[in-house]
Amino acid sequence: MDNKQLETIAKSVRKTIFEFKTRDGIGHLHSSLSPVDILVSLFYDESTNFNHETDMVMFGKAHGSPSIYPILADLNYFPKDELEKYCRPGGILRLHSDSSIPGCHFVGGSLGNGIGFASGLAYANRNKNIYIIMGDAELYEGSVWESLMFINHHNLTNLKIIVDRNGLGTIGETETMLKLNPLDEKFKSFVGETKVIDGHNYDDLRSVFSSQSPQVVIANTTKGKGVSYMEGKWKYHTIVPKDKDLIKQGMEELS
Amino acid sequence: MTQRDTFISELFEIAKKDKDVILISVDMGASALDRWRDELPEQFIWTGISEQHSINLAAGLSEAGKKVYLYFMAAWSARCFEQIRYSCSMAKNPITILSNGVALGYAPAGPAHETNEDIAYMRSLIDVEIHSPANIQMVKSLVKESYENQKLRYIRLERKYDLRFDELGSDDISQGLNVIKNQGDELCIVSYGYMLGRALDVFNKLISDGHKVTLIDMFKMKPNPITSDTFINFNKIVTIEEQTLSGGFGSIILEGLCDNKLTKKVLRLGLPEKYIFENGDRDYHLNNNGLSVSSIHQSIIEFIDE
Repeated sequence: MDNKQLETIAKSVRKTIFEFKTRDGIGHLHSSLSPVDILVSLFYDESTNFNHETDMVMFGKAHGSPSIYPILADLNYFPKDELEKYCRPGGILRLHSDSSIPGCHFVGGSLGNGIGFASGLAYANRNKNIYIIMGDAELYEGSVWESLMFINHHNLTNLKIIVDRNGLGTIGETETMLKLNPLDEKFKSFVGETKVIDGHNYDDLRSVFSSQSPQVVIANTTKGKGVSYMEGKWKYHTIVPKDKDLIKQGMEELS
Repeated sequence: MTQRDTFISELFEIAKKDKDVILISVDMGASALDRWRDELPEQFIWTGISEQHSINLAAGLSEAGKKVYLYFMAAWSARCFEQIRYSCSMAKNPITILSNGVALGYAPAGPAHETNEDIAYMRSLIDVEIHSPANIQMVKSLVKESYENQKLRYIRLERKYDLRFDELGSDDISQGLNVIKNQGDELCIVSYGYMLGRALDVFNKLISDGHKVTLIDMFKMKPNPITSDTFINFNKIVTIEEQTLSGGFGSIILEGLCDNKLTKKVLRLGLPEKYIFENGDRDYHLNNNGLSVSSIHQSIIEFIDE
């Protein structure tokens, strides 16, 4: 699949996310838009090593995990009409994904714990590839660094760590809050080979997902990607547009 | 042999036959661990002082089908409470936590190393099983039970226990409580673990005084083992615990009575609502905080005479 086709899929995924998030105004739309290209690259680009039937992808930043729902629906993990029941009584799709949802593998909602859980899975299943998508603001949790030391010591190269580096926490920029940079140096020191890429560029994504290394991918992304008035604006972390004109504009930009 | 080394040694024998049994130590030592390290290195994970990660790791191993045991000092259970709640209880990943040196067991190390409230916070977890064995036989039964029936378990191990209960106690863990002495129904004393020794001394004094008393070891704290029959014959009940009284052992008895629609007079004896910053060993602290044999005895006499 070429980049143009992947970009078309990504746009469709973002539109679907925007639709189900704005329907009831629930959840973290902003955080769900930044990792879309990472997921589309993994699930749809045949050049990557990822095989959704045998590998596992999970979220440390589960508030962004609804980004995977349109993809799992497309791949028939559950009926597409579940997307219309997102966060509604009777629906199976929740604000934070959890293991009761087909294709999801961990209870979501508490930051800094997914990486340790993933390390246990990777330790017990050396032949299985596990991909974890973490938020950059999640990295403030000390438990993350405990797990990274373990992953390095036990050479768990079957665990791919992807940081959705959108640069924003809940109420501002990470580098203003408490600086994470030089983030790549920190990961190199704790884990090993680390590469910083453009998380919206399919050549970049293909290059890191089509080989075993690097183990750590810092994907620079834009929070709210695809909706111009949300892009990079921290105030949208917990705000889902409710204004009709803003919803219309968002839908048009993603169409 | 200590409760800890007994558990780890017994588990070792099982692990030799089952490669899925994994023991994690967060840099806590134990003489029984040495064989694991030497003979079963693939089944022993030494994670370092990283309780939060270690619980998450254990949860992931459990999800992958391993039978996971994690050993640390009891006081650290508070540090990784979130991970136990989130990755094990909420996500339904059963592991067995060997929580060593409960209550004042590490005195005189100070309150950071002591758990005067772990029963209260651990039993708030959904679907956890909590045990406080009082002897070695019970520890062996718990090894077997935890291996054969994987659940989220919090096993409170005593650094020292009263050796009289190797004779008096039982290996039967099926009911969650055992009657140790039955010499009448005027009063029932309920205790567990290390405090059971003091409870026995008080029991003997009360019998000498001419009272008719029963002594129960209630080693299982969750699920609540109390039934409508447990205290049916007693009008007065005394609970003795090495915990503060906020939600601790005595509260479990009260809940058991309430849930079984039994109205009884209950005297709860435990540690005061404070952290103890004072030099002294376990017995010193118990004796100076209202839990000496004589002060327990005196409190019960006053309770009987009410």
